[in-house]
Amino acid sequence: MDPYFLVFAIMALGAGIFMIATKDAFPSALGLLTVFIALAALYLHLHAPLVAIFQVSIYAGSILVLIVFVIMLLMTPGQRLRALQRNLSYRIMGGVLGVCLMALLFIGLKGAGEVFSQRELPHDFGTPSAIGELFFRRFLIHFEVVSVLLLVAMVGAIYLAKRRS
Amino acid sequence: MAGLTEYVVLSAILFGLGAIGFLTRRNALIMFMCIELMLNAVNLSLVAFSHFRADLSGQVMVLFIFAVAAAEVAVGLAILIALFRHVKDVDITKYNLLKW
Repeated sequence: MDPYFLVFAIMALGAGIFMIATKDAFPSALGLLTVFIALAALYLHLHAPLVAIFQVSIYAGSILVLIVFVIMLLMTPGQRLRALQRNLSYRIMGGVLGVCLMALLFIGLKGAGEVFSQRELPHDFGTPSAIGELFFRRFLIHFEVVSVLLLVAMVGAIYLAKRRS
Repeated sequence: MAGLTEYVVLSAILFGLGAIGFLTRRNALIMFMCIELMLNAVNLSLVAFSHFRADLSGQVMVLFIFAVAAAEVAVGLAILIALFRHVKDVDITKYNLLKW
């Protein structure tokens, strides 16, 4: 059995269970972050370096930041951060998250190619150039439609969140 | 080496966890995070199939899902913030203005 897969799969599962079981929203966000990082490491193992980069920069780096920002913004007075810091299970989750981040950091330093699985795939499988070829040839219309979708979402979000003066 | 089965089982369990969390939690922000967990489970399944079928379309679809998920989170949180301004709570049982 693949030890690399087992380590990150168990971390993802443990973080997922913690995420849905915990009482407060902020530790739940930490659990979700651990799931994102563990999945990014699994994507690296599956010959998907570009997807792993986007997973870390979009999911962990943008979406989760937005969620944490809104958690902080809407935090009711009953849940102060100071009280959260004393809980043991939250500290353990923080430790697991730290381990996961360090693991991904070491993988990045060693080089993503070292953790690719042993499967026989074309040597440019999952590289940005190969995915770019697909985006601009076969999936060009889809690409442009998603751009329009992002524009619509941006306009909608700005309008919805505006304070009515 | 972990085969396709292991990855799909992991994806299914993560999806199930996200679904359980979405249906049982009352905090709207945790429900959002469970939606993201479900989307990530599907992403993992797509990347795994792309790897074991040597077809890059799976990874391209994952990139589209990234874009759609980002847009969805932005709009959903904007709605939540606008709603919070009136109800002053993220507990979904308090969102009952439309109940008959």
